[in-house]
Amino acid sequence: MAEGQRTRPADASRFGRDNILIWQVALVAGLLAAWEFFGRFSGGDQVSSPSRIINRIVIWLGGELYPHLFTTLGELSCGMAIGCSLGALVGLVLGRMPIVSIILRPIIVGLYSVPLVTLAPLFIMFFGLGLLPKIVLVSIVTFFLLFFNTFTGAQQVDEDYLRTLDLMGASKFEQFRKVVAPATAVWIVGGIKIALPYALVATITGELLATRSGLGFLISRAAERFDMTSLYAVLLILMALGLLLSETALRLEHRFLRWREAAE
Amino acid sequence: MNEMSTARAVAGAAGTPAKIRLLRAEKTFQVRGQDIEALHPTDLDIRPHEFIALVGPSGCGKSTILNMIAGLMRPTAGEVLYDGQAVTGPNRRVGYMTQKDTLLPWRTTRDNIRIALELKSHATPRAEADDRVRQMIELVGLKGFENHTPAELSGGMRKRAAMARTLIYEPETLLMDEPFGALDSQLKLLMLDQLQSLTQHRRMTVVFVTHDLGEAITLSDRIVVLSARPGRIRAIHEVRLERPRDVFKVRFTPAFSEQHERLWDELKDDIIKGTDV
Amino acid sequence: MAPRTAVIGTGRARRPGATGGDQSALERFFSTSAGRIGSRLVLVALILLVWEYAPVPRATRFWMSSPSLILGTLWDWLFDGTIWAHLGSTLLVMSEGYVIGCAAGIGFGFLLGFFPRLSRVLAPLLASFYALPKIALAPLFVILLGVDNSSKVALVAVTVFFLVLTSTIDGVRAVDRNTVNALVLMGATRTEIIRKVLIWAALPWIFTGMRIAVRYAFTTTLLAELIAANRGLGFLIELSSGNFNTTGAYAAIMVVIICSVLLTELLSRLENRMSHWNQKFTPRSAPPSTAIA
Repeated sequence: MAEGQRTRPADASRFGRDNILIWQVALVAGLLAAWEFFGRFSGGDQVSSPSRIINRIVIWLGGELYPHLFTTLGELSCGMAIGCSLGALVGLVLGRMPIVSIILRPIIVGLYSVPLVTLAPLFIMFFGLGLLPKIVLVSIVTFFLLFFNTFTGAQQVDEDYLRTLDLMGASKFEQFRKVVAPATAVWIVGGIKIALPYALVATITGELLATRSGLGFLISRAAERFDMTSLYAVLLILMALGLLLSETALRLEHRFLRWREAAE
Repeated sequence: MNEMSTARAVAGAAGTPAKIRLLRAEKTFQVRGQDIEALHPTDLDIRPHEFIALVGPSGCGKSTILNMIAGLMRPTAGEVLYDGQAVTGPNRRVGYMTQKDTLLPWRTTRDNIRIALELKSHATPRAEADDRVRQMIELVGLKGFENHTPAELSGGMRKRAAMARTLIYEPETLLMDEPFGALDSQLKLLMLDQLQSLTQHRRMTVVFVTHDLGEAITLSDRIVVLSARPGRIRAIHEVRLERPRDVFKVRFTPAFSEQHERLWDELKDDIIKGTDV
Repeated sequence: MAPRTAVIGTGRARRPGATGGDQSALERFFSTSAGRIGSRLVLVALILLVWEYAPVPRATRFWMSSPSLILGTLWDWLFDGTIWAHLGSTLLVMSEGYVIGCAAGIGFGFLLGFFPRLSRVLAPLLASFYALPKIALAPLFVILLGVDNSSKVALVAVTVFFLVLTSTIDGVRAVDRNTVNALVLMGATRTEIIRKVLIWAALPWIFTGMRIAVRYAFTTTLLAELIAANRGLGFLIELSSGNFNTTGAYAAIMVVIICSVLLTELLSRLENRMSHWNQKFTPRSAPPSTAIA
């Protein structure tokens, strides 16, 4: 029983793949049909139905959805931009300063062990109902994640590379630019990939608590009015957004880290 | 295909029907959309109670042959017969040992060896099972280590436990895929000795894959030399050393060296071509 | 190493103690345990002092509060039952949701693990649910299950479910094909392989997933309490913030921090204990050689 086991015999693969797809389509179609049936003929309000939900989404796509979508995306991107850059910067700097890091690190770890998203009401208290509290929240969440990743990466830069450049007469800055930065880039990109879903959670949490716009707002508004159709519609949109974001993160990682794959 | 007819002729000459037969058995894999022929249509007859070795560079299909005999893999074309019948599913008459010992880490030595007897297919009353396990442990020299977990055993001990586990349900055929590859040479000799005594005593048919020529010559009755991808039989050699063989001393006999040289010449070409043996 | 003596203090290309003789006095101080702990304590003390006594305008002081005020509030809460009531509710919700989520996650995980085709069919569906920030389901659960604990428990259960599910599936998938094959050739039935091998082999992965899930259960409980609840630590934070009671909000957050740190400590002790026990089953690099071979 050697490596050959992992590949599939010639005859089965093509048939096997199509088979799965058929089952998946059947499953989804079945579930949707059952939901539709249930929605039309029994439960009434609490259940809604796929047709009504799709209808609502289509109507929204006509215009109403976009301001809310952009609010959420805006909060997300601003927060991430700030958090990532600060986190990466501080991580890089502290990662190369052993004394400071030894003292500060446990404190930072201690701070991080707090579920940061629970600070959301605090920020709303400070900054009001607008975009700011959410941006701050996302920034902080992202900051910590990026900081830890970058810090670890910066500490682990292979000393041999640095020594080589040192012997060539490179200045500290050049060493930083040519070795430390690219090596840490791997960790930074990894950090961004990890931070993305957390940032989304932070954004939505902030919006659920208090806001005038955004996908989270659409959810609370629908919930207040017991408007199940809208509620399900937003959840669906949010699901799609989540998938899109994780796919983007993966593509990004591929793009930036291709040299790493080649090296391995 | 001179050697093929020789092989079959020899089987016929021995009078008894072959235990295992490959009839134009071939295997093709699909890797990333491409067809890779792992085993060229191959004919091979393995006699009952014979110890036959398969040697060759990696990728020559030796593991594939073992898998097909075990029924873990179906040939893309051709047939694999065991006792005259086509192998259609997992072949319960064989035992299989790989390079990596697959002992269950959470079980003690005793429980690991016993596992086959716990199954419905080999159901054995508790007392009898305990007896057999105890005998087996003594046989492979693991007395005193019954309650150790695999992590607490050395490499050689684990190998012996794996052998015990495989032999306890008394399969008539043993398939081995470079089982001693990871052991150092002293250990290897000890294991070869143990293997020889166990299999000869029980008159088992053994199909032994290895890239160590010395191993092959020491233990086998015949050696099948395979060439690299696509795997095909290059030659089949009879090993004309008398049994019983002293595993530790036989390698110093002239007959051994002569056999070794002949085999080495066969494999040399593949080595020069750059494939690793 | 001569060129390096110019780099003192930041020691960028070396660590304290890494190059033995080259250390400065500062580095030597910080490499001792007393030095490290001492400096941290000094740092924390400094921060607290500044927080308490910095001369800031009244408005800022309102927003900042002070350690003494916060401790005062905590003290009061300790004795009038506030903390216990809310903490109890949080812990209750967290444990209920955790247990349900784990049970469902492990069960489902085994199911999907044993039937890979089923798992492949369901994969995109599961992936979509994974991508949804679970917190968005909170209002839905409140509508379906009411403002009481059930909606919170449901949310925690769903979150934990997905985590443990993934770990369990990974665990089942990680089992060595060769091991299973060896048993198949012995004549083991599917049930026997599941019972004797797969379940045990997957345990380490399952335990890891369960450990990670504890944190998420805690966080999700707090979040659910923030969004819609009338009890719990999260609710306490939200209530204080809503009333612009900065001191109260900070006090509640302090409680959360303490719980969080305790939780982390507990989990890490558990992990140590488990890996100690795990030693017995994981091969070490140098096996005991009390016998030849």
